[in-house]
Amino acid sequence: MDLASVMDEVSGRLDTIAGLRCYPYPVATVTPPAAVVSYPDTYTYDATYGRGMDRMSLPVVLVVGKVSDRAARDTLGAYCDGSGTKSVKQVLEGGTYTAFDSLRVESIEFDVVSIAGVDYMAGVFTVDIAGSGA
Amino acid sequence: MSFQHGKSTVILVSGNNLSAFTNTSSFTRGADEHDVTTYGKDDHVVAGGLGAGSFTMGGTYDNAASGSPRAVLEPLIGAVVALVRRPEGTGSGKPQQAFNGLLKSYVETSPVADMVTWSAEFTKSDAVTRTTQ
Repeated sequence: MDLASVMDEVSGRLDTIAGLRCYPYPVATVTPPAAVVSYPDTYTYDATYGRGMDRMSLPVVLVVGKVSDRAARDTLGAYCDGSGTKSVKQVLEGGTYTAFDSLRVESIEFDVVSIAGVDYMAGVFTVDIAGSGA
Repeated sequence: MSFQHGKSTVILVSGNNLSAFTNTSSFTRGADEHDVTTYGKDDHVVAGGLGAGSFTMGGTYDNAASGSPRAVLEPLIGAVVALVRRPEGTGSGKPQQAFNGLLKSYVETSPVADMVTWSAEFTKSDAVTRTTQ
């Protein structure tokens, strides 16, 4: 797998969600709602013999607005849903990709992230990706 | 002499290289044990018998119509097939074991939170040929 291509394709697929700004790498500033495909937490080689398969755990940070804003909660909720047009899980797992073979949205954790000195409510999705090791 | 990592292991089944789909394999060799204890002994006396062995392998499922574990192995269930094991990979001077094995089972497993996996179990048939590639 080529890491840049994987991050590009994941971001490109998220970009099909109406109104969501998507970035295939960590950017300096964002305007919410925005999805930032960050660098893998882990990139595991040799899942099979002979460089057959590699796997990575890719974080997608979804920034929605102020922590104390009720609208931010409602917005983030739609992205966290297991199904629906804004569901990150449904949209990502429904995509067709060439940079890798398999994608599963494993989980989401909620956090406050600081970008360019501004605190945002965010959902950090963990995406499990598997593809060719060659 | 040096330790060897398992990632380079190569497994051929009936001439098909399934290494890229495989992440575990195990080759067990043994022999029958015969009790030849006679009267007057205070401990068992044993003698070795016929050689025996088994081979198991498994890994990540792939849906390719040809060359994948399912495509290769399913039609071979119940057949004695040629197996080649290269624990250090392919290369001049590296060891190789060639033997026949009865494909007893081919299993596909679908965990809800992980990749589909497969495994296969063989019973060794006849002698093992050990060579240097």
